[in-house]
Amino acid sequence: MNPQNIFISKKFEFSASHRYWRDDWSEEKNDQIFGKCTSPYGHGHNYELHVTVSGKVDPVTGMIINLTDLKKHVNVVLEKFDHKFLNLDTPYFKSDIPTTENIARVLFDLIDEELKDKGDFRLSKIRLYERSDLYVDVWQEEM
Amino acid sequence: MSLQITISRVYEFSSAHRLHTSELSEKENIVIYDNCNNFNGHGHDYRLEVSLNGIPDKKTGMILSLNDFDTGVSNVLNKLDYKHLDKEVDFFKNNLSSGEIIVKYLWQELDKQFPKNMLYHLKLWETNNNYFECGQF
Repeated sequence: MNPQNIFISKKFEFSASHRYWRDDWSEEKNDQIFGKCTSPYGHGHNYELHVTVSGKVDPVTGMIINLTDLKKHVNVVLEKFDHKFLNLDTPYFKSDIPTTENIARVLFDLIDEELKDKGDFRLSKIRLYERSDLYVDVWQEEM
Repeated sequence: MSLQITISRVYEFSSAHRLHTSELSEKENIVIYDNCNNFNGHGHDYRLEVSLNGIPDKKTGMILSLNDFDTGVSNVLNKLDYKHLDKEVDFFKNNLSSGEIIVKYLWQELDKQFPKNMLYHLKLWETNNNYFECGQF
């Protein structure tokens, strides 16, 4: 049997702070919706990111993607997030709140772009853990 | 192609149960359910991963506020936590409390707690070595 779909996943970590706050809402409403994520100077997490790539297994190397290359490409993106205050130190969350959903969506787009034209593989899915009890999945679905 | 997003939260509840069916003989129950058939029951710390699918709200950046997420799940799990499923939860008086049926029950109950079509996937860990899933993959 020759399985059609093979995925390889690699785990990464980055540490960043963020704050959930909308200027166009009252303090009460911010507190009500965002809870303790509104703390004025931000708070932080050690995010864990699982990057899943799919593609053909190269008959010579036996690999979908060389993991050293994958690490290099993903780290180009994660450098922009690691040890940063996401609201202020990155351009992605000026109007969008850096929720786990939004961070994951931005990461998916950036990593997808970074892997483009690098080989016969594509970014299939990412999973972003904010903590061990909360995670977001983002993937492309064929229409 | 469309970009899909799910948010998942992990919850725990602790319950007792016994796998036993009156449709089988005492002997058959022991053969099939083995130590899960223990006469006085036994318990687990169940772990439940709940995944919701949707479009993050433009203003909050969230598919559903974590408050509403937690409340919806608590409404369901509070009925099971620190209970003997077969003796204290109506549904399991007539249904086996196997992992398969618990996860089916959880789907049916959780689906009522969230906006239509938002519940996407459930993964129920009975121990660290076995889990039951339902929903979309």
